[in-house]
Amino acid sequence: MLKEQGFRDWAPSMSAREQLTQASFVGSIGGFRSLIASIYDLRAHQAFLDKDWASVEKFRGITTSLQPRFAKHWDLAAWDLAWNAYAYYRNKSEWTEDGIESWQMKNIMMPRYLEKGLEFAKQGAEWVPESYRLAMVVADIYSQKYNDPELASQWYFKSSQAGDAPPFVFRAYATHLARCEGKEEEAYEVTSLLYRSTRSSNRSLTLTVRRDMERLEDHIALIAANTMSLEQLESAALKNGSTYLDFAKLGMHLLEVKKDLKAALAVYRDIANDKNAPFFYGRKLLMLLARNPANEEQAYAALKKLLKRSPELFRRQDLIEFTKLETSLGASNDNRKK
Amino acid sequence: MMAEEIIPAVQINNLTKIFPVPFRKEKVIAVNDLSLCVEAGEVYGLIGPNGSGKSTTMKVLLGLISATSGSSAVFGLSSSETASRGSVGFLPENPYFYKYLTGAETLSFYGKLCGLSRRKIKERTSELLSLVDLENAKDRRLGGYSKGMLQRIGLAQALVGDPRLVVLDEPTAGVDPAGSRKIRDLIIELKQRGISVILSSHLLEQVQEVCDRVGIIFEGKLVKEGKLEELIEIESQTEIILEHAEPKILDQINELVQASEETRVLRSGKPKTTLERLFLKETGAESEDVRKDS
Amino acid sequence: MSADKVKSVKEDFVVPHKLFSLSRVWAIALNTFTQLVRMKVFYFMLIFSVLIIGANFLFLNFTFEQELKILKDVSFGAMTLFASIFSIVGTALLIPKDIEDRTLYTILTKPVPRFEYLVGKLIGIILLVAVSLVLMSFLFFAVLYFRQHAILAEEIKMIRGGATDAQKEYLKETIFAQGVSPELILGVLAVFLKAAVAAGVALVVSTFASSTLFTIIVSLVVYFIGHAQSLALEYYFPDGQMYGALQTFIAGIVAVVFPNLQMFNIFDGIITGQSISTTLMLRLIGLTGFYLTIYSMISWILFAKKEL
Ligand SMILES: Nc1ncnc2c1ncn2[C@@H]1O[C@H](COP(=O)(O)OP(=O)(O)O)[C@@H](O)[C@H]1O
Ligand SMILES: [Mg+2]
Repeated sequence: MLKEQGFRDWAPSMSAREQLTQASFVGSIGGFRSLIASIYDLRAHQAFLDKDWASVEKFRGITTSLQPRFAKHWDLAAWDLAWNAYAYYRNKSEWTEDGIESWQMKNIMMPRYLEKGLEFAKQGAEWVPESYRLAMVVADIYSQKYNDPELASQWYFKSSQAGDAPPFVFRAYATHLARCEGKEEEAYEVTSLLYRSTRSSNRSLTLTVRRDMERLEDHIALIAANTMSLEQLESAALKNGSTYLDFAKLGMHLLEVKKDLKAALAVYRDIANDKNAPFFYGRKLLMLLARNPANEEQAYAALKKLLKRSPELFRRQDLIEFTKLETSLGASNDNRKK
Repeated sequence: MMAEEIIPAVQINNLTKIFPVPFRKEKVIAVNDLSLCVEAGEVYGLIGPNGSGKSTTMKVLLGLISATSGSSAVFGLSSSETASRGSVGFLPENPYFYKYLTGAETLSFYGKLCGLSRRKIKERTSELLSLVDLENAKDRRLGGYSKGMLQRIGLAQALVGDPRLVVLDEPTAGVDPAGSRKIRDLIIELKQRGISVILSSHLLEQVQEVCDRVGIIFEGKLVKEGKLEELIEIESQTEIILEHAEPKILDQINELVQASEETRVLRSGKPKTTLERLFLKETGAESEDVRKDS
Repeated sequence: MSADKVKSVKEDFVVPHKLFSLSRVWAIALNTFTQLVRMKVFYFMLIFSVLIIGANFLFLNFTFEQELKILKDVSFGAMTLFASIFSIVGTALLIPKDIEDRTLYTILTKPVPRFEYLVGKLIGIILLVAVSLVLMSFLFFAVLYFRQHAILAEEIKMIRGGATDAQKEYLKETIFAQGVSPELILGVLAVFLKAAVAAGVALVVSTFASSTLFTIIVSLVVYFIGHAQSLALEYYFPDGQMYGALQTFIAGIVAVVFPNLQMFNIFDGIITGQSISTTLMLRLIGLTGFYLTIYSMISWILFAKKEL
């Protein structure tokens, strides 16, 4: 009767009891559980310095089963195995001369520790669901080690929903979602939400969000441009409550399907004047203007000014194009002088 | 006061105390059907060899152990009642106190236990410290006290609650002659103040001078009891007490007593045996030469 | 002389005796406390200081969470250890010593009921535990406070190009969450309550053991079984259900003989960020009161007729 509150939480779990030495077990029920967990934490750290990964795994197992509600134990366990042990075998496999050994490291040890680390992180996320941290670690492993943006984005989302999640977790969710093929619509919704909320709160936007935003808008516009007719797109753009994105779809259609630069320019001009449209449409407009040799110089001057003021609006390919423009203008100027 | 005449300070009736011996069938009869009475204002000596049951009797009287049969009371209150300890002071055999306390702190601690007020404690403490002559040592810890000093602080402790009866178990045991003299003087002073005293001793000459009455206890039984003078008076002998006696005068004492100019007769009359002889006789341990002597 | 004359005289002379007097209990408690203090038990504070200040400088290349956790673990470990040792060894040392040295004779031949003596001793030892825990907590909180500020300053310095206010705020929040908090005070309180129960156990044992070593050993055994008690009950009654009156009765006896001390280890919960409800604390306090009452009664029953 007296035990339902409290007791279950501070008695060590069955798995902890099985792993502990007798003395540690006695101590752990005698009010020194946290201290004993710290001692195993130190031992794990020493084993890490000694590159004794089996011991690291064992001691991290003990710390986590002694205090499963202490997020940092899981965090360190996952970090030691999925990053440190993994990296250790990766380096070693690259340096070792013995082909078989190298193969073993690559195909047995590395995946093994990666899995172990992932397992720790997932268990931790189950034990401490109110904290964002372990779900984020799981997501990090999927993102950085397995290159799986889909699973990573799912875990980043889970993490971002915890009360203590810092804003970058949601950003990570958005960027990973943006990298998932076939999820562009969903990704665009999240990214634009993020874009808008960040801009309205006057905080600076990260580059990734800007890029994702542009890439996803282009992607969506391109699909619409290729699947819908001009009439459909025009009526969608002129309908009440239409957004700049409807115009972008129309513009894309004119540009890519109809190859009508002049008509496209008119549409893009409208978009650039829309307060709600992201600033990169200004750059897009100038880039399109520059395609017409008559406007080349004027567009170049404007682009140069824009680049100086907001370099973040220029992607890599934009900079390449800009440089091309610059060189061709320089060449023609040279020709003229001659 | 009237009351002191009416209610005896100590009333022990047919007291028997049997101790079981662990893991044995036989038992120790420490006190065997003992009755005694100490009148108020009286100094009573309980005399007997070691192991005769003196301490056991006192412990029953003070409620530290319970009687197997019989009863004991202090000023009419049964020893089993805590209230009976309200008017008693006790100095145990070889007392040992908290050696981390100073003399003054010890007395004030016991004063608090007696329920004295803070002011009263202060008064009593300084009064008693001067009575037992420990004023100079009052701020020293008991750890550094000598045996005699401990005995005296023990006596002061027994007196702190202003008791009407003081129980002293072997008060002079192990104390040097000067210290033991001092304790005897204190007992006499208590008597003068009208405080009843019951004390025990296995050394007879130490109680001889201070007791109004003595009881001789042997193997748990009270074998003889009475006024000191009555117990030790011997009709058939004469005693001469000499001062500055020279050895050769001792040899020819009868002739020279009148002739000598240096030697003087101080007192002559009915001589008394010593309590020791009496004691040895009563307890059946009288030695050969004592028997020949008498 | 007539019977009622005796009676009236008796009444004149007998000092009115209080059956229970707090001032006598307090005198014994204070005396016990003084005795322990003068035995120089407070030298343990030196060991404690060395431990927790040492815990600060040992692990400097750890994350702040680990550093603060180790500091808290060492402090709480030392507090638990000292409090339990003081309560068990203190009780086991003083009561049998009083009996052995016959100091008890001089106390019990004053108008002091035996119950008061027991309660006074118990309170004196609990008082010592309380004072030492307060001293340790002061030192511990001071060091922890100093450390959390030092760590915050360090972390802020580590941010390249200077931390923004938001970053500073975030760091402060996360670091201070592991620092000084009211929950820690509750943890110390629980350590105290556990030690008080342990003192109660030692009191019972010392009233029949009358030897220091025996008291310490038996009390320690009870202390450890008390911690494992809930595990044992969990093992025998896995779903927390008792079947039948006999089992409930046996479990009840076990719970009295071996108090559930595991319940008091709330520090294990605090350090993992669980919030401690007022109900739980009140329950622990109530449980401690319950155990101390029971133990005082049992030791009184054992002690009341003890031949000294
Ligand atoms: N607690 C006890 N258990 C068993 N025997 C005891 C106990 N106390 C005293 N005795 C025995 O009772 C007898 C009387 O002892 P005691 O009263 O101390 O004698 P005294 O004080 O006259 O020297 C002794 O034989 C002693 O061994
Ligand atoms: Mg004796």
